[in-house]
Amino acid sequence: MSEAAVTAGRTGWRGNAGAQVVTARPGLDPRRALQLILAGLWLLDAMLQYQAFMFTKAFGQMLAASAAGNPAVIARPITWDATLVSQHVVLLNTAFATIQLLLGLGIAVRPTVRLALAASIGWAVAVWWFGEGLGGVLTGGASPVNGAPGGVILYALLAVLLWPAARAPLDRAPLGRAPIGGALIGRALIGRAGGAPFVAARAVGAHVARALWLVLWLSLAYFALTPANRAPQALSVTIASMESGEPGWLAAIDRGAAALVAHQGLAASVALAVALVIIAVAVYLPVRAARAGLVLAVIVAAVIWVPGQDFGMILAGGATDPDSGPLLALLALAYWPARTALAAARPPRAAGTAS
Amino acid sequence: MTPGWILDVFAGLMLAVAVASAARLAAARLAAARAWPRGPVATDTGIAHLLMAIAMAGMLVSGLRTLPDAWWEVVFAVMTAWFGYRVIRDARATGARALAGGHCAPHLVHSAAMLYMFLALVPPGGAGQGMSGMGGSADRPSLAVPTLAFLFALVLAGYTVWDLDQISSRSRRLAPASFAVQAAVPAAVPAAVLAGGAGDSAAWAGIDQAADGPGDPIAAAPGAVRGALLSPDMSVACRIVMGVTMAFMLLIMI
Repeated sequence: MSEAAVTAGRTGWRGNAGAQVVTARPGLDPRRALQLILAGLWLLDAMLQYQAFMFTKAFGQMLAASAAGNPAVIARPITWDATLVSQHVVLLNTAFATIQLLLGLGIAVRPTVRLALAASIGWAVAVWWFGEGLGGVLTGGASPVNGAPGGVILYALLAVLLWPAARAPLDRAPLGRAPIGGALIGRALIGRAGGAPFVAARAVGAHVARALWLVLWLSLAYFALTPANRAPQALSVTIASMESGEPGWLAAIDRGAAALVAHQGLAASVALAVALVIIAVAVYLPVRAARAGLVLAVIVAAVIWVPGQDFGMILAGGATDPDSGPLLALLALAYWPARTALAAARPPRAAGTAS
Repeated sequence: MTPGWILDVFAGLMLAVAVASAARLAAARLAAARAWPRGPVATDTGIAHLLMAIAMAGMLVSGLRTLPDAWWEVVFAVMTAWFGYRVIRDARATGARALAGGHCAPHLVHSAAMLYMFLALVPPGGAGQGMSGMGGSADRPSLAVPTLAFLFALVLAGYTVWDLDQISSRSRRLAPASFAVQAAVPAAVPAAVLAGGAGDSAAWAGIDQAADGPGDPIAAAPGAVRGALLSPDMSVACRIVMGVTMAFMLLIMI
């Protein structure tokens, strides 16, 4: 929905005797809404970073553990960083939490959104390396269920895709498999609206955005099928291991999910991988199929987040972030086809009737 | 352990909110008595901010405790009921919008979160009140039903970023408008600002200067202060600071 459409007809200011100043109340366009969700997640991260656990030596040990299994060139800086954090844990953790707080507040405040998003990219990449050991993607133990490719790198990806480009790029990519006439009219409609087929395309263009989506979800499918994850008990043990410290209802869900996939590691991994591949290619499909794929992405993200990640283990205490589940769902929303794209995919007569 | 000085900083912010809320209430009474032009200063939200800020400061630093917990529980139960009633009344008039972007819904969440914190607080070993006594996982106070704490923190974070977005977009929108206000007929100004849905400090300062006469330096100086205090954005700013602090308290006590 365009901003103009949202604000049409609203008068922001009414005065008397010629003193009328009419200003449109800026509406919340979809990209801004997604930016605000991202800001909220950064705020949540900051608050979690202020937890008592993070001010203990255990935080440094947690960082050091992420070096295990990584190549030396990756692991050595992590170990150095973990040692430094252990020595100055109060100072550095306060700085980490405050940086994340400022990132969240900065993205939420309109004049500083660009600065904060740019800073968040640098911060996320640094944390991905020094804090998450590149999400374990080089260790052979990464799994979509345990947060691969690293929750924090998804913040950077979202910052790129939600970058407030001054002008939405005209999309010249084919609009799915709509009839040729419909696609042509669709491009014309989008051209007039100055919009992109989905929010994520507004900053980097549809081709690049779709490619990023494809790479992300295909990589998740690959991780789901690695030997460590397709072992008979792999998924079941992963889920069951998170039960400790969780509230009763969540522990019960964990137990149920672990029992469901017990000794079914291969079947569960293949099923998950198939779902992830469908999601990966969904953005190249016609609009309605793309929407179905994105709904599937949100469902998979929810399944990963609840029984797979226990909400990032926030309820058990000691979590640094809500993990990758909500970020994957947020990404899916960024690829939700715009109304103009749906109109574009309709045959010419239908589009004409609708208007 | 969460360092005591971080808790002190948040407690200091709460005291600042309490002072600002008290000053805002006083300025509103003064404005009503002297018939100054002013925007909508809701007494209930001002009192809510004042009480919440005092209560949170006491939770963060034991030296700032004022009332026994049981008293605060009654206070916030009444406040939750009051804002619940107002949200229902708004919902009848405007539908679901009252929950999403209404004026009272954030205060309902804040009041309910405060009530939850007082009811669910499990002190460390039954000794020592306030959060500043935390010295490790075994000694820190925690909250029963942590799922509720997480949900409250999520909603509070949501309202905080929403408020920040709205307040920053209003500031940008009203910056040129504030110049127009000073040239306008003063009597038209409050209605104009109300129609716009909000104002900012600069605009309200301009309004007061227009009302008092721009040539009077004595009236102009307090006008800026009055403008800032009576600005709706002052209330929103207090709400933002309290939302962040409350989310912080909820999450560190999970």
